[in-house]
Amino acid sequence: MVERKRVPASLFSTCLADTFFPNVCFATVAVLERFGVDLRVPLSQTCCGQPAFNTGNRKEARKMAAKFLTVFRGEEYIVTPSGSCANMVKHEYPVLFRDEPNLLTLAHRVGERVFELSQFLVEILGVTDPGSPYRGKVTYHDSCHLKRGLGVAEAPRTLLRAIPGVEFVEMEESDRCCGFGGVFSVRYPHLSCRMADRKIERILETGAQVVTSGDIGCLMNIGGTISRTGYPVRAVHIAEILAGSEGGSP
Amino acid sequence: MEPRTRHFFRSAEKALADHALQVALSRTTAKFLENRAAAVAGYPGFEGARERASRIRQEALDNLDAHLARFLTEARKAGAVVHAARDGREAREIAVGIARDEGVSLAVKGKSMVAEEVGLNGALEAAGIEVVETDLGEYIVQLAGESPSHIIAPAIHKTREEVSRLFEEKLGEPYAEEIGELTRIVRRRLREQFLSAQMGISGANFLCADTGSVVLVTNEGNGRMATTLPRVHLVIAGIDKVIPRLADLPVLLRLIPRSATGQSLSSYVTILTGTRRPGDAEGPEKLHIILLDNGRTGILQGKYREILKCVRCGACLNICPVFQSVGGHAYGWVYPGPLGSVLAPLLLGLPESSPLPDASTLCGACAEVCPVKIPLPEMLVELRADGRAQGLKPPAEVLGMKAYAAMMSRGGILEAFQRIAGVVSQLLFKDGRVRWLPFGLSGWTERRDLPAPAPQPFRKLWKKQRGIRPWKR
Repeated sequence: MVERKRVPASLFSTCLADTFFPNVCFATVAVLERFGVDLRVPLSQTCCGQPAFNTGNRKEARKMAAKFLTVFRGEEYIVTPSGSCANMVKHEYPVLFRDEPNLLTLAHRVGERVFELSQFLVEILGVTDPGSPYRGKVTYHDSCHLKRGLGVAEAPRTLLRAIPGVEFVEMEESDRCCGFGGVFSVRYPHLSCRMADRKIERILETGAQVVTSGDIGCLMNIGGTISRTGYPVRAVHIAEILAGSEGGSP
Repeated sequence: MEPRTRHFFRSAEKALADHALQVALSRTTAKFLENRAAAVAGYPGFEGARERASRIRQEALDNLDAHLARFLTEARKAGAVVHAARDGREAREIAVGIARDEGVSLAVKGKSMVAEEVGLNGALEAAGIEVVETDLGEYIVQLAGESPSHIIAPAIHKTREEVSRLFEEKLGEPYAEEIGELTRIVRRRLREQFLSAQMGISGANFLCADTGSVVLVTNEGNGRMATTLPRVHLVIAGIDKVIPRLADLPVLLRLIPRSATGQSLSSYVTILTGTRRPGDAEGPEKLHIILLDNGRTGILQGKYREILKCVRCGACLNICPVFQSVGGHAYGWVYPGPLGSVLAPLLLGLPESSPLPDASTLCGACAEVCPVKIPLPEMLVELRADGRAQGLKPPAEVLGMKAYAAMMSRGGILEAFQRIAGVVSQLLFKDGRVRWLPFGLSGWTERRDLPAPAPQPFRKLWKKQRGIRPWKR
């Protein structure tokens, strides 16, 4: 590998990956370190506050957001394996702190440094080949917040296509919502499952062995439905595919 | 129309179980979306046009008073009688008054969502005036005794098979599933009504301030018949329909049909300015325009002002996975879909319709297709925050959020919970899957598994792997 200057970055692990999918975090670490990132994991981080914000519980969301801003107030890049969490910090913190000028400034400063993993690899590190030994037929689900929130759709595809062992296939309606929606999935479970059903239909049509995405929430929803029904496909986080270390996904 | 917005949950459940509805919805929304995608792809200037249209609508709202005053002056100059209605009741009274004064016993009506909003048909019928809907979809819905379920495709909830049976039953027509044949049946029947009605009723897609013109964008020709054949033409329109200039129309007309049905141009665009002039072959002798406020001035002054930019194309409905799954009736009032989930709480009050802003995954597809760039998901989240501020949230949710925020207040506290969860998980969920959750969370596990919390969270494993001591972070 070409000698490069080590890029300092902090891992924004997300509370969901931290609690449910440690392997996704380790895979993220592995990929970033493979490309010379000097990665730090701030252990005082908790949750970005998205569930509270999305349900309109702003008082609680503000508390968590303020905490996040304190933890990540440095100068380094902030990288996360979850599009919606990155979108929360980048686009919703300014809404939360619109009446608090100091925190608003900080929110903008922190927000500028937040990147989703695939986006960071491609846009900042200029990675074209992730160097993954992963093998399999893979299709990709666009997380709503990654695609429409952060505008990231090409980066993950570029990386997946560059893996020699991966046969990449597009599904129809790849950017149609899987029905997760955080609290929505619990408040309107039947609606949520109906949307997940359609997503899984689209996945199965491709004949892929694996569906991947850059969002923990989507993968919990899609993976949880697959796990219950026993469809012949697995939901695997893109970090694990890029690392070539699939193991602990739903 | 009595709002049933409060019952979204129950109505949605019913809709999900309604097989015919599911068939009808998937057929039509898929077709709209496919056509829209093709129409947008075939028009490279689409994004630029959205930007311009958004600015035009914003400009109209920013100076609405002046534009309305100008419209009033110009429309009167052209021979129209303009009425202002503060709310639905006033609008109904004015309409009934006009119909009585003009000696109307039969009115033919083109599509109008504002007429639905104020319950115009009911009021006219109560006054003994027969109102015949002439838009094909509205005709079907009226015949079935229902309400429209989509703002541009009112009968989208019905399959053609259902329509055939309806015509068989109510009109005594032979069963004919073919859409062309169904259309011919209605056309034949409507012809007489068009010729004998004393009044035509229409909405308006736009009101042009500088010329006093009423603009109608239609596909079936019924709008043109209803507004030119009868002696009297009654327009009912929200005050938000004003655009500054007639010259603003082209860009809006490029966007609306592409966004709505995926057509590059609608079959008819009608610009009506004033009454019939000497030498005109057709046109109404009398033109009445009711400008409806009904809460719009209030919206204009608040943080949801941009919702008034809406041009009622229905693109946000068609693209919305929730709308696609439950259809328009589930939303319980006149305006469904993401647009309705914002507009209904603003027009009816949030307590009356608090489930609607929650009926979205915030996937953002609506904002992406909106031709005038209304930030619908942001508004939905804002309304949810208003719900909390107004004390409309279930106490369990607020309590849960407080507990969750407390748990997330420090890394150490979160880790303690994670480790307890890890131990429980190892005891109860040996295969790593949670198949059953209690109480408010049971919805998740009804048809899905939840991954079990990891025996040890990442933060713990990381410390171990990198040899980080607890006191040296």
